[in-house]
Amino acid sequence: MNIAGYKIKLEKKTSFSGLEAAALSVLAVVVALFLVGFIFLQAGVDPAKGYAEIFSYAFINSFGVPLTINRAIFLLLCTFAFILPMRAGLWNIGMAGQLYAGALAAFGVAYAFGARTNPDVPAGIVLPLMILAAMAGGGLMGLIPGFLKGKFNTNEIVVTMMLNFIAFWVTAHMIKEGGPFMGSGGEGEGFKLPPVLQPGLFLGMPFTIWFALGLTALLQFVFTKTRIGYEIRSFGASPAAARYAGVDPFKISVLVFVAGGVIAGLAGYHYFATVPGLFKIPKNYGDFGDLAFYGIICGLISQGNPLAAIPLAVLFGGLTSGGRFVQGKLQLGFGIDYAMLGVLMIILVAFQFFFRYRVVFKKEKEA
Amino acid sequence: MDVLSTNEIKHGDVVLEARGITKRYPGLVANDHVDFEVRAGEIHAILGENGAGKTTLMSILFGLVRPDEGEIYVFGKKVNFKSPLDAIKLGIGMVHQTRKLVAAHTVLENILLGHPKTGVILDFKKAAEEVARLCDRYEYKLNLNDKVWHLSEGEKQMVEILKALYRGARILILDEPTSSLAPPETKKLLETIQIMTRDELAIVPFITHKLPVVLSVSQRVTVLRRGKVVARLNTREATEQMLAREMVGREVMFNLERAQVERGKAVLEVQNLSVYDEKGMKAVKDVSFSVHEGEIFGIAGVSGNGQQPLAEALAGLRKAAEGRVLLDGSEITRLSSMERWKRGIGYIPSEQRAVGSIGDFSLVENILMSYYYDDEFCRRGVIDAKKIRARAEELVAEYGVATPSVDVLAKNLSGGNLQKLILARVLSRQPRLIIANLPTQGLDVGATEFVQNKLLEAKKAGAAVLLISEDLDEVLALSDRIAPMYEGRFMDILPGGEAEREIVGALMAGIRQKAAEQ
Repeated sequence: MNIAGYKIKLEKKTSFSGLEAAALSVLAVVVALFLVGFIFLQAGVDPAKGYAEIFSYAFINSFGVPLTINRAIFLLLCTFAFILPMRAGLWNIGMAGQLYAGALAAFGVAYAFGARTNPDVPAGIVLPLMILAAMAGGGLMGLIPGFLKGKFNTNEIVVTMMLNFIAFWVTAHMIKEGGPFMGSGGEGEGFKLPPVLQPGLFLGMPFTIWFALGLTALLQFVFTKTRIGYEIRSFGASPAAARYAGVDPFKISVLVFVAGGVIAGLAGYHYFATVPGLFKIPKNYGDFGDLAFYGIICGLISQGNPLAAIPLAVLFGGLTSGGRFVQGKLQLGFGIDYAMLGVLMIILVAFQFFFRYRVVFKKEKEA
Repeated sequence: MDVLSTNEIKHGDVVLEARGITKRYPGLVANDHVDFEVRAGEIHAILGENGAGKTTLMSILFGLVRPDEGEIYVFGKKVNFKSPLDAIKLGIGMVHQTRKLVAAHTVLENILLGHPKTGVILDFKKAAEEVARLCDRYEYKLNLNDKVWHLSEGEKQMVEILKALYRGARILILDEPTSSLAPPETKKLLETIQIMTRDELAIVPFITHKLPVVLSVSQRVTVLRRGKVVARLNTREATEQMLAREMVGREVMFNLERAQVERGKAVLEVQNLSVYDEKGMKAVKDVSFSVHEGEIFGIAGVSGNGQQPLAEALAGLRKAAEGRVLLDGSEITRLSSMERWKRGIGYIPSEQRAVGSIGDFSLVENILMSYYYDDEFCRRGVIDAKKIRARAEELVAEYGVATPSVDVLAKNLSGGNLQKLILARVLSRQPRLIIANLPTQGLDVGATEFVQNKLLEAKKAGAAVLLISEDLDEVLALSDRIAPMYEGRFMDILPGGEAEREIVGALMAGIRQKAAEQ
């Protein structure tokens, strides 16, 4: 391409540092926010004021911050559920279904111990069992696409996608009117956990934050230092070469999907059973399934790096809560928050391009 | 325009000339003031190792790449190619190494595809007549209505050449024309291009190895090394030894030292093995043989005759349909590839980039492909990064892999260096059985020599080596026993020292009479 006597060339980069990648991501966010500024202008709002409202709500306001943290934990877990298969070259689009399954299993344990009607269940037993059940539920949900992929090479995107619908409607069946988990109010939501099963907060945060942070360290370790991590990465980088080197595709496929499902199941437990104000599967549980899809975006932008996923999860957690807030407060049109997230995603993805190429300007030689 | 017209071109006219062609890429000068010319009616071969700048020069002559400096003249006129279309219009035709034909279409349809004369409505009859005339003239035996997937590699190449000629090519660039051809097909091709020169066509074959091909047909040869023309000579003054020396820049030993090693007990025994390929066709049919300690067992055949499925079945990457495979006397027919690695099978696959290495991984992590399952390098599931790094550095030094560091990504290695890396990785495990599938395919003279010597060394050390190759000279030079493979079967198993080139060549092509006459 030639512009004003300059030759513009794209050169493929052979290497880039982690710092460079981080700097580019920050730049991408700045560019995206700049562009969204026009949406604010069009809506008659000063962009500076709009952003001030969003960020102060998301990261300073005493109502907003816990919401941001809860969402960030949730998103981080969903991101990990996506990253694990992604590093093996597989696509988990089923975090929503897996988290519903995890939540149903957890509440199923509480239900089995009679927690729906009896407030005095033995929390020391039930609480850990709920967590294990959430992991098992999500894991079983992940086992289906993992097994089918490994055994019959079924398309995992289709399978996980379809399972989302199944899990969504099974959840509806369980909590809506007439369902076994129906709440006493009968307003189409699940029963509320008795106070003994409501875990307390740690520094204002649900204890599940330790799961999220622990998993960050664990995954980072697994991917960079271990045999199984090497097998997963080599399978993701080149399935034919990995098979040649003795990696068992069935094992990898089942492993990453089950592990991903386990983590997504934890995300379900986290939001429905540890966040103050919920402690139940709410009417709008589908919104959380939708939120889980941001895990895909975080996973793609972080390029499968668990550490890089943390700032992304915080950013998206904050923007989803702050965006919705500012929309109400400044009486903006419906959908502004989604438009903002959409632009941000596109810009972040577009900036991935600069990870791979460098733009070179060359003065065109006089002809 | 009559496709056969030869007016205005006289024998010996310079039809294509390149002057001072220079092309720089970051960190490398691919072509450094290259001069080259070819005359009408001449076969002028361009010879060079991988990385010598052949591909760049070829791309420049065909308009795929624009040179940084230098000029190109076609029929005496200075040209400035913007795309291959310009080159084609001026009468330059190119036959790529990888076939670019539509397999489900007929020969004629492929020849007409994209031809400028074909409008919205195809006049098949007229076109068929014209193509048939071309065939007659150059003695091609082709049925124009055959589907391309029925054809052999050699016939497909003929179709590509015809396609270029029908488009009016007067100058033909052939990229590695004899690779993947059986010996009889090679012979036929060489005859054909000689006939073509009678019509004052100019032919430019680009060749990495197979020096005898160059010597047998070309009039002149230009040798490239590191982007520069290092020699240009008349072929009748050249010898194989001379050309190899110019290409590599040092003496090359053509006579491999074939140490006589005592043949030991059988390492690999294959009994009545049959294997299906990915299309569900039986690609290996009832094959039985054994490979012993200190022996190189060579399977000679043109690719696609079942060698690949056979190698994969032995490496545990493909299921055996029938039959048994034994390693050191114990059955391994159903064992996983992992288990086979552990028991001492070392597999060197034919696809270096797609299978034998992981391009986006560093050299260390590529070496790890053969070490990650070893508890010595991976204690309790945690990889010993220091140890594997040290190992990688050792191997890179020992095998002379040219690289600035072991952190380089494998995709940045040249073909020869990558093969050295794969060889280092596999052989350093000291396998009992080495399965080498096309180990020197696409390698230059220097790297080929290296690989062949390593296989001979492994044999001397007592390993059993199964060599699968398309290169008859290679099989003859290295093997203690030779099995020509055709359509999934071994045509025979011959003792290596006495096997005659012609007989093995004929058997590779499925011709048995000759052997029977003996």
